[in-house]
Amino acid sequence: MAMGTRESSSANHHGNLWPAQKSGANSNSAVEEAFSSLLTGIVCDALSNALGRYVLDILASKGLLDDSDNPKEFDRGLQSLFGNGASVLERIVVKDLYRKLSIPYSSNARFNYEKSLETAKEVCFVESRLK
Amino acid sequence: MSGGEILSTLLASEIRGDLLILFHKNPGLIDTVDGIARRIGRTTITVVSDLRELLQLGLLKQKRIGASEVVFLDRARDREILESVANHLQTVQIGGAK
Repeated sequence: MAMGTRESSSANHHGNLWPAQKSGANSNSAVEEAFSSLLTGIVCDALSNALGRYVLDILASKGLLDDSDNPKEFDRGLQSLFGNGASVLERIVVKDLYRKLSIPYSSNARFNYEKSLETAKEVCFVESRLK
Repeated sequence: MSGGEILSTLLASEIRGDLLILFHKNPGLIDTVDGIARRIGRTTITVVSDLRELLQLGLLKQKRIGASEVVFLDRARDREILESVANHLQTVQIGGAK
């Protein structure tokens, strides 16, 4: 989807999304951390681009972003603030995340935020092992 | 229209979300309905009703340039709308009612 010309800064300065491969638990936790950081960046970009920086600041002050890598809590927070609009914001997040990870996204498919993030995380783990 | 109603209008569909992102990322964008639809990876027919809602809200404006009818972001109205949304969100608590 050709949505615009600006890119977010969620990837590291080398343009890589994932840390270099290490072994065992260290590697897993490094990928977890990289995924969490990527997701938080994308959530901030999505909220700011959709509703403006001021709204993002308000949401941050309410602690919404503290749960951005915990899909259940984040979904609960979004629902209480945005009602039905929460799923639109979640789709924006997932669409951007999938674009960055080169995962195909379909607007017509049934949407589940938590499952979408699980899929993305799995892709991250696979990619980190292939490096 | 209250801040809550504005928020519901803005986030009523995925297409409206895509339109918000498109115009906020590119606030100087001026394009036809066809062009806008293409930019968000949709067909004209699927975006028309959502565009109409955002035009009605005043977030977007329409004007004629030559033979083309183009759509663009009304930056002043956009600021008002986002301020109204922000004021509304300030009164809402996470996990509960106002």
